[in-house]
Amino acid sequence: MLEQSGFVDVRIGPPVDTFGGAGGESKARLFEVFGYAFLAHKPT
Amino acid sequence: MTDGLPVDPLALREEVKSKYRAVAVDPHRSYHFHTGRLLARRLGYDEAVVAALPNSAVEAFAGVGNPFSLGTLKRGERVVDLGSGGGFDCFIAAGQVGPKGRVVGVDMTEEMLARSRAAAAAMGLHNVEFRQGVIEDLPVENGSADVVISNGVINLCADKRRVFAEVMRVLKPGGRLQLADIANGKEIPAGALCNIDLWTD
Repeated sequence: MLEQSGFVDVRIGPPVDTFGGAGGESKARLFEVFGYAFLAHKPT
Repeated sequence: MTDGLPVDPLALREEVKSKYRAVAVDPHRSYHFHTGRLLARRLGYDEAVVAALPNSAVEAFAGVGNPFSLGTLKRGERVVDLGSGGGFDCFIAAGQVGPKGRVVGVDMTEEMLARSRAAAAAMGLHNVEFRQGVIEDLPVENGSADVVISNGVINLCADKRRVFAEVMRVLKPGGRLQLADIANGKEIPAGALCNIDLWTD
């Protein structure tokens, strides 16, 4: 969606187990939900 | 469905506001997500930087990743934080851009704004400002930001294309979006996507 919105040079960092040990862990595991960092640029 | 969106964006917004109002008022309660210093450590924030912040600046932090992990901000940069919550990422950003930089946090929840403004005042920060607004309609000037950051907020918006259009509007040409958010590896059933409770719990 970032590229469809016009961003370029998009990078994605490694997954982070955001919900591990929290109340939402079981739901996160069910849908393989992880946190990610994204870097994207507006064209010059 | 509302205009092709899976949920009513205004109803979702009210639900999100209610959830994060509770975090602002009582950050130590048990939520479906982690909060505060333990969360910051889990997400890989610089421990020395976080340790230097007062509790009031950290305890309501409820991000899902580290928007600074793919690049540190530069001195003097102008930054906008989408959904700034208790201000934690704004305070990290303020340290990175320095006194000649500027950070604007945007949040819709009055209780979070009160918390972030109080923390900024307590720290004597003059390069951070918090504005009330929604991220689908940012109270920020066109082409004014070098960097837009956000952490665990865009996933809570029904109309993500509109959010990204707003990010494009406020960024300078060549500016960047440093975003942390969640993504799912398994497809979520269409029936579940229409359930607002599943967006926020």
